Amino acid sequence: MKPTDDVHMQREAKQLEEPVTEASVLAKKLGLKPYDVNYWIVDYDDMNELIAYGGFQNRYPHWRWGMTYDRQQKQGQFLGGKAFEIVNNDKPAHAFLQESNALSDQKAVITHVEAHSDFFANNEWFAMFSRDPNAAAMLSRHGETIDDFIQDTDIERAEVERFIDHILCLEDNIDQYQPYEPLMRDEPSETDVDYGEVSDELDELDLSEEVQRQVFDEEWLEGQRENDDSTTFPEEPEKDILAFLRRHGKQYDETAEKAIELEDWQKEILEILRAESYYFAPQKMTKIMNEGWASYWESLMMADENFAGADEFLTYADHMSKVLGSGGMNPYSLGLELWEYIENTENRRHVVERLLRVEGISWRNFHDTIDFTHVLNQLEPDPLVASVEREQLDDIEVSDPRIDEETLAKAREGTVDLDSYPWKLFTYEGLAERHYSLVKPANKGYLGRISREELERISRYMFDTERYDSVEDALAGVEYTVGWDRMREIRESHNDVTFVDEFLTQEFVDENNYFTYEYMHSSGDYRATSTDYEAVKKKLMLELTNFGKPTIVVADGNFQNRNELLLEHQYNGVALDIEQAKDTLERIFELWGRPVVLRTIDTVYDDHDLEVARRRDSEPEPEETGVEIRFDGTAFEEEELDWEDVNHLAATDVDYDTKPEDWLA
Amino acid sequence: MGLKDDLERYREVGEQRRQDLADFIQYGDLGQSRRDEVRVPIKIIDLPEFEYDQREMGGIGQGQDGTPEPGDPVGQPEPGDGDEEGDPGEEGGDHEYYEMDPEEFAEELDERLGLDLEPKGKKVVEEKEGDFTDITRSGPTGTLDFERLFKEGLKRKLAMDFDKDFVRAALKIEGWGPTKVFEWARSEENLPVSRSWIENAYDDIPNGDRTQYGSLAEMTASVEREETARRIRREGVDQIPYRREDERYRYPEIIEERERNVVVVNIRDVSGSMRQKKRELVERTFTPLDWYLQGKYDNAEFVYIAHDADAWEVERDEFFGIRSGGGTRISSAYEVAMERLDEKYPWTDWNRYVFAAGDSENSSNDTEKNVIPLMERIDANLHAYVETQPSGNAINATHAEEVQQHFDGSDNVSVAYVTSPDDVTDAIYDILSTEEGDNER
Repeated sequence: MKPTDDVHMQREAKQLEEPVTEASVLAKKLGLKPYDVNYWIVDYDDMNELIAYGGFQNRYPHWRWGMTYDRQQKQGQFLGGKAFEIVNNDKPAHAFLQESNALSDQKAVITHVEAHSDFFANNEWFAMFSRDPNAAAMLSRHGETIDDFIQDTDIERAEVERFIDHILCLEDNIDQYQPYEPLMRDEPSETDVDYGEVSDELDELDLSEEVQRQVFDEEWLEGQRENDDSTTFPEEPEKDILAFLRRHGKQYDETAEKAIELEDWQKEILEILRAESYYFAPQKMTKIMNEGWASYWESLMMADENFAGADEFLTYADHMSKVLGSGGMNPYSLGLELWEYIENTENRRHVVERLLRVEGISWRNFHDTIDFTHVLNQLEPDPLVASVEREQLDDIEVSDPRIDEETLAKAREGTVDLDSYPWKLFTYEGLAERHYSLVKPANKGYLGRISREELERISRYMFDTERYDSVEDALAGVEYTVGWDRMREIRESHNDVTFVDEFLTQEFVDENNYFTYEYMHSSGDYRATSTDYEAVKKKLMLELTNFGKPTIVVADGNFQNRNELLLEHQYNGVALDIEQAKDTLERIFELWGRPVVLRTIDTVYDDHDLEVARRRDSEPEPEETGVEIRFDGTAFEEEELDWEDVNHLAATDVDYDTKPEDWLA
Repeated sequence: MGLKDDLERYREVGEQRRQDLADFIQYGDLGQSRRDEVRVPIKIIDLPEFEYDQREMGGIGQGQDGTPEPGDPVGQPEPGDGDEEGDPGEEGGDHEYYEMDPEEFAEELDERLGLDLEPKGKKVVEEKEGDFTDITRSGPTGTLDFERLFKEGLKRKLAMDFDKDFVRAALKIEGWGPTKVFEWARSEENLPVSRSWIENAYDDIPNGDRTQYGSLAEMTASVEREETARRIRREGVDQIPYRREDERYRYPEIIEERERNVVVVNIRDVSGSMRQKKRELVERTFTPLDWYLQGKYDNAEFVYIAHDADAWEVERDEFFGIRSGGGTRISSAYEVAMERLDEKYPWTDWNRYVFAAGDSENSSNDTEKNVIPLMERIDANLHAYVETQPSGNAINATHAEEVQQHFDGSDNVSVAYVTSPDDVTDAIYDILSTEEGDNER
């Protein structure tokens, strides 16, 4: 980091003091409870370094950061050319502002960051690691430890680096649904019985071949293997492969030609990287929610509360469209759209519930009876909160729950700048009304668009249906805060998987033009397959569940009673990338020290079927086959398995295929 | 520790993971490289992980204006950026390359194949700066050769100087006047004296003195002449006549730098019998040769000639792709090559390499009657013929053999046979090492 006596940086810091303070005040008024954020002003190079290091200043030495940095520089297009937001999950959080950014961009980052910080502080998945992660210090400490190993003359640098590489291949193979529990260096590996092959031990006894042949013949050995009360562990399949290797891993010693214990430094690095995986896991699990959440509040503060000055707004809007419009499955826009959809549907449900309690209105006649324009007019925010008129300050009732009493007093004295910060006059309730979603121009169709099915569903559990005499009566008591209240609840308990599963509806998919696609064997390209929300949800589930990676578990650490590691792929209908899986097995061998075995189900397309499919323009159905891949340190063996050996791996209740039935051959 | 180290390590790791050069030449994707930049793929850029088969996965997209109908093609899916921050493009799947220039390529190939070809041949004069031993008439003041200026000035002074008293005395000869003295001084005494000086001197002589001597003989007898050099030594140099024309500036010596020029002629049979596989083998052999020679010489130029029964010059871009019909007459290409070389790349100034490739098929007698004589007539460091016959020998394909028999033992003709990518590096080695044994001409 550059010394702070840099004049430009100081000037920039000075200029940003006010936005930083005010953003934090506004965020809290809006109901957010962020960790405090420390802001740092850095130059372009520092920013690129921070991005390469995953948002931190110090990480362990590894070529991978160099690679990211290199690409970062080459591409120069991170988030549309500039690095906008870097914020750490830490308490206090640390955020970085790039010195050369325009003021509007800085403000956008600041507002965005406040919301991220709120998410870090309140989402329960982040508590899985720690509510006080002390992350910068932890990562820095990890860096020093590993650097010490590298500097250690007894340990070869290349060996340390290779070892890190091996572990990084498994960085997503942890149990992210469980809280992180550190494994200490000297934890007794209690389950680690001596599983040494009897024949190995015999070899060590140095018996003459004669004796061995006569006394300990093959038959006897075979009997030994069977009698050995075969210790199978773990008892339950273990998803945290890194933890399993940390406890039971060995390394293969070329000279001794057998597995030997891992060195202390190896165990320590394993645990360090495992801890980092757990630390970063919540961010990976909540990417859509978290980015959407930050974009939502950023947009509200910047655009709706004029946090961007009039002249800055265009730059801001441009920045926003760049971030949101960058093709593919974009967590920023999907997240923002979902949060806005939740806000609208929640507000709508609340209004509809009241309307259905009006005498004479039922789900059957709802659309015919209700004048939606009239309803929306009724819902328009009170002029009191919609705009702040200086002359009317004296008429405002101090007791109005929407008014911030303290600010009102100051405003009357003239000691608060309401022209720049009109929101200061309001409380949470006031702001909720001021920004009520259903009456915004873009959302005016929402209320009338509610389906009869949904109306029926809502009214099914309703009682007291004749409470209000009129629509006006019903709407008078509308709570403007229900949308935001609900959003905050959701941000506490959900992760991306549950979030999408619960809130993605057909209405949402239609409104936002989402569709699914699949690879077509008949045409050799990717085709749109469905616009049905169930299909879209399937594909999203596949991309989000388990970091979008296949689930691999340790099934047996003493496979066939030979100390081999049996991994099983819990097959969900989507096959593994077999070549990559083999490369990964080679890496795991280095951490296990003995042969490693992977069982999976592969989808195989018959050549003939493919040919027929191409000719008939229909899709072939693959055959699912059990496969066992074994790597013994030098060579691979691949073997087809009987179905009963893999039947337990095949999930029967999921299907991620979205191809229409009639496309199939 | 720190990102600089990480970046350095990344570059090192990248270098280690670069595809083996021989593998690259034989089986690699040459198409990513340019003529002046060799791009060798880096084998594994990222660490492997357990991942889904991309094709089996499918995905979701978002329509910009409306939603595509099921069945509409959607193009290659873009990699989602659903992964953690700071990993832009990580799943891009685009290959990483180790980039090297032809010099490095040539060096590495030498090392890999155990070659050590020191290019030789035509030395073309190029002016390069040496010591400041030459001089020129103009230049920066600092390089003014003052010693020379002084000497020249002195010479000039000596040349301009004359024994004034002696000339004055001549003016005192009775009956002589300025005209007579001038003629005498210039023609007989060879004194650098001007007419105006003489006239002024005559004016200064009082009338009584103008007849002091009766004759020239009388004057010379009474006046002692003094040598200029002696007089200068006696009087000292009060004024040296520096002249601009005497100024010389020291100037670096022009060293005759030997620049190494090379022209490589690539000839390829594009007739109907040269199918895809044969074409590929030609490309695999020629491209590294081109890079290599380019890396070995300071200045490389290339001529690409395609031929069937006729030959024509083409651009590199199209060279390996052309397919034509018709028969084969290899000599047509050598005719074009000779014409081109003589016109633009004289043997005195250029190293010449003429590489031809094809499946050894040729029209009857053409090899013996035309090609071999042409090869003998075209001066070159090296002639090579590369036979690409994936299926071994065809019955009528005897061009390579004929050439080989004729030039057997020659140190500037090489014939190589390539039947599969495995043979490529051997062929390159054979071709290049043919010249290796050559001596400085």
